[in-house]
Amino acid sequence: MLVWVIYDIIKTKTRTKVAKACLSAGIYRVQKSVFLGELNLNQIDQLSLKIERLIDLEKDSVYIFPLCRDDFKKVKLLGQAFDKKMVTDEIRTKFF
Amino acid sequence: MRSEPNSFSEAVELSVTPSLVLEFLFCPRFIYFMECLNIPQHEELRLKVQLGRSVHENKQRINKDYLRKKIGCIKKEISVYLNSPKHHIRGLLDEVLWLKDGTLAPMEYKFASYRERLFRTYKFQLTLQALMIEDNYELPVQRGFLVFVRSKNHLLTIPIGDRERLQAKKAIEQIFDIILTGKFPSRTRSRAKCADCCYKNICV
Repeated sequence: MLVWVIYDIIKTKTRTKVAKACLSAGIYRVQKSVFLGELNLNQIDQLSLKIERLIDLEKDSVYIFPLCRDDFKKVKLLGQAFDKKMVTDEIRTKFF
Repeated sequence: MRSEPNSFSEAVELSVTPSLVLEFLFCPRFIYFMECLNIPQHEELRLKVQLGRSVHENKQRINKDYLRKKIGCIKKEISVYLNSPKHHIRGLLDEVLWLKDGTLAPMEYKFASYRERLFRTYKFQLTLQALMIEDNYELPVQRGFLVFVRSKNHLLTIPIGDRERLQAKKAIEQIFDIILTGKFPSRTRSRAKCADCCYKNICV
């Protein structure tokens, strides 16, 4: 399923670690603190456990939103937006 | 591929761990890849497995003498390695509990959240442990306990009956059949499991 990971983290070091955890899970960076990509339930659980151990639970906040494909089709993108096909793994490699 | 045993006694010496039975329940092809082709799944690299193992280590150190009075526990043993030649099972049990009613019970810690439904694998694991306990301690086992670490140590009691014991023994027989004949079993009926399978790249 498609998953949004959105975070608000105070410490730069922690923020970098969380960003790396998201990228290593295989999701794409669509904004500075927003990631989007295709993960299964087990991968979502694993990522949330990983992030939970990195962040300060008293100060930081991380949202992990699942999103169904039907709703994703209704997403409106304005301005400098991400490639819809890329984040849904419809295309694996981009040739320029 | 592993060659067939020369005699029945060689086959009889085989034994399985409850973990291997759980792999079989996930997908019979796990047994083929792990035992016949000797391709390890490297589960130790998974974060959830690592965290689960650390939980087990902590349980061995912290509050060792704690007895759950609510379930009628009067004595317990921690991290018990048992071998049952009769049922061809061996394995490490988290806890063996002595209960007030004169029965014994296995207790298993799960690094998981408690959901309303009870998974088949949990039942099988406790049943296999019950068979090992009965064979080694020669006392009856009527129930097992699960502790869900990620749900504030929620305790779940699971009755273990003859039906469960038969199913567990049947699963062991099927595992032996794959190991001894080296036949390629059919995959699991649930294709959803394939998405998260470590062998998906080599499974046809």
